[in-house]
Amino acid sequence: MSDTLDHSGLPEDELLAAELALGVLEGAERTTAEQRVMRDRGFARLVEEWEQRLAPWAAEVREVPPPPQVWDRIAGALPAQTARTGLWRSLGFWRGTSFAAGALAAACLAGLLYLGTFAPPQSLIATIEGSGNRHFVATVDPARGTVAVVPAAFSADATRVPELWLIPPDGRPRAVGLLRADQTVVLAMPPELAALAKNNAVLAVSLEPPGGSTTGLPTGPVIATGKLTSL
Amino acid sequence: MDLESNRSLIVAALGRIPAGDRAALQTVYRLTSAKLFGVCLRILGERAEAEDVLQEVYVTVWRKAADFDARRASPMTWLIALARNRSIDRLRATRMNRNMTPIEGATEVADSVATADDALESVQEHARLHGCLEGLASHERSALRGAFFDGNTYDDLAKRMSVPLGTMKSWIRRAMIKLKACLEQ
Repeated sequence: MSDTLDHSGLPEDELLAAELALGVLEGAERTTAEQRVMRDRGFARLVEEWEQRLAPWAAEVREVPPPPQVWDRIAGALPAQTARTGLWRSLGFWRGTSFAAGALAAACLAGLLYLGTFAPPQSLIATIEGSGNRHFVATVDPARGTVAVVPAAFSADATRVPELWLIPPDGRPRAVGLLRADQTVVLAMPPELAALAKNNAVLAVSLEPPGGSTTGLPTGPVIATGKLTSL
Repeated sequence: MDLESNRSLIVAALGRIPAGDRAALQTVYRLTSAKLFGVCLRILGERAEAEDVLQEVYVTVWRKAADFDARRASPMTWLIALARNRSIDRLRATRMNRNMTPIEGATEVADSVATADDALESVQEHARLHGCLEGLASHERSALRGAFFDGNTYDDLAKRMSVPLGTMKSWIRRAMIKLKACLEQ
């Protein structure tokens, strides 16, 4: 960067670090400086020092308690992260595993039954997510024609119930059944519906009046979706 | 709760996050979210945006807690920098709601010092920074304020204070140099 301010007595890097920490850069300048923080330890240190100098100013910012749903959304976004960090500590993961273990046992049993004849149809799984939160994890057992849906980070709504929909490539949602925020639900699918629960079909959850949609299509907001993929 | 115990609670909780301790993240959130939400809200000017960014900030805390080094930085410094950076990124991406009210060189954009909260950083640190800021020319202080609290760019500040871009860069850089020298005294 050309510098006409050499009278400053501070090295250009130090000034760039100050500008980045203060937040006055934009566009390519900001991006380049941010990338440099990632790979240049010395520069990152300069930026940290400036952040430290400026941070006490935030004492003048009025505290504003965020609304409670922000924490719910954060908590909901965590299980996806724990897959990389603290998998075994996550409640969502344990719910997932206990079901997956059950699915595995079922698959083994099915495997034994079919042994020597043909391989059992593969289970499919979908992570049903919306606005950054993993709401439910669904596993389809094609052999039984069931879908098991484990709540991950879904918070119950006082007035509405979550309803599961299967959307095959034709784009028309088919009602599968009502879900629960507090426990795993196993829904049986009629054969014609189970036949549509294939790779790349989409599972969606909408919020419906108690008892579910009466129109055969989602009436409330679709809050989360996920694509089925073979396990 | 006194300042030091608050700080050590946050440090201890941050230390438990890399092992996947969700309660630890909740502790950090409980102790710091009102301040960070205030920071996001101040920069973004709109609650829905600020809520989104606040969520991003704590999800980042969850992922990056291992990067925090209590020997090098105070936890609030780290968290505030994170909240400011995420808010500024969002502001730059949307170019919405940024404060472009003209700043008169001599008029202070009043942010009441009286609301300074003792639980955040040591009172002395804030007092020292405040003293050094008072030593700047008022136009320099106003420009820094617009950048820090409103997330303004060089370009925004030049427009708000009706000066050429080059002049604004020169003001800010000079102000930062003076600030550093004063804080190191």
